[in-house]
Amino acid sequence: MSYVDAGYAVALASLFVYAIGLVLRRRRWARALKVSEVPAPGADGVPGPGERL
Amino acid sequence: MSEPVLVRRRPRWLDVVGVLGVVAMGFTVWLGLWVTPPDVVQGNLARLLYIHPPIATVALYWVGLVAAGGSLLYLWPRTRSLFWDRLAASAVEVGAVFSALTLVTGSLWGRPAWGVWWTWDARLTSTALLLLLEIGYMALRRVPAEPAIRARRCAVAALLIAIDIPIVHFSVDWWQTLHQGGTVLDPGFDLHVHGIMLWTLGLGFLAFSLIFVWLLGVRYQVEVLQDAVGDQELEVSLTERWSEDTELVGVASGDRDPHAGGGAP
Repeated sequence: MSYVDAGYAVALASLFVYAIGLVLRRRRWARALKVSEVPAPGADGVPGPGERL
Repeated sequence: MSEPVLVRRRPRWLDVVGVLGVVAMGFTVWLGLWVTPPDVVQGNLARLLYIHPPIATVALYWVGLVAAGGSLLYLWPRTRSLFWDRLAASAVEVGAVFSALTLVTGSLWGRPAWGVWWTWDARLTSTALLLLLEIGYMALRRVPAEPAIRARRCAVAALLIAIDIPIVHFSVDWWQTLHQGGTVLDPGFDLHVHGIMLWTLGLGFLAFSLIFVWLLGVRYQVEVLQDAVGDQELEVSLTERWSEDTELVGVASGDRDPHAGGGAP
């Protein structure tokens, strides 16, 4: 492999891997957000601040 | 949550930019490797120059503009918003990738052209310093802190990193370096590249710039999601804590209740 081919391969492969990694991170965090969503205080019996049981 | 729209309804223009970037990159590679003629002096080695200067341009100027501009706008009280902080942080991470690629592609060109993989040349050293500073910024961002404190701290760090950008740019003028001066334009704005080679180089600049915008957009979405999850977890913790406190208050008031039993008559 020549230096030219190596340069193109490294640049394109690195950007591709980083882009895929970013898309996967975005998907993982979007899923985490969905899981962590809680009902608003006061709804479904969850007491809000200043609210007594 | 502050910015759910940016995450749940992804902007369509970002996908368009990504597709255009990939198409432009495909044409750059095709023209650069197969269509353009070998250079009179450098031969086929000149083909690396269709990607190295565009990558360096993104690493230095586009990243510098977004990171320093975003940080300044965050620090300015009238424009202070976490949007600018997140944008700057996203730019620095993407910039670190481009800085590393600048060094690698430059090194792959330098080995056959100069006979060395690396030399402590002013341009190379200041670019390596830029990469190290960007890594330091990312480490600083991971230090746990309130969002406002983290944002202020990182904005100051980004502005300090930005000092290195003119040093990298003018290093070939300020010091005697192995690295050549302007690749496309000399200080008198005379073009060094012509014809199909110039068009290929121009397309390379466009392709890497579009790819940068797309990466920046996706990285920004990740930043928003991370912060949103952090907010949600904080909210859950507060809710749980509130429930525990309420139960404790209930138990304590039950102890004082004469009808609750267990107390002296």
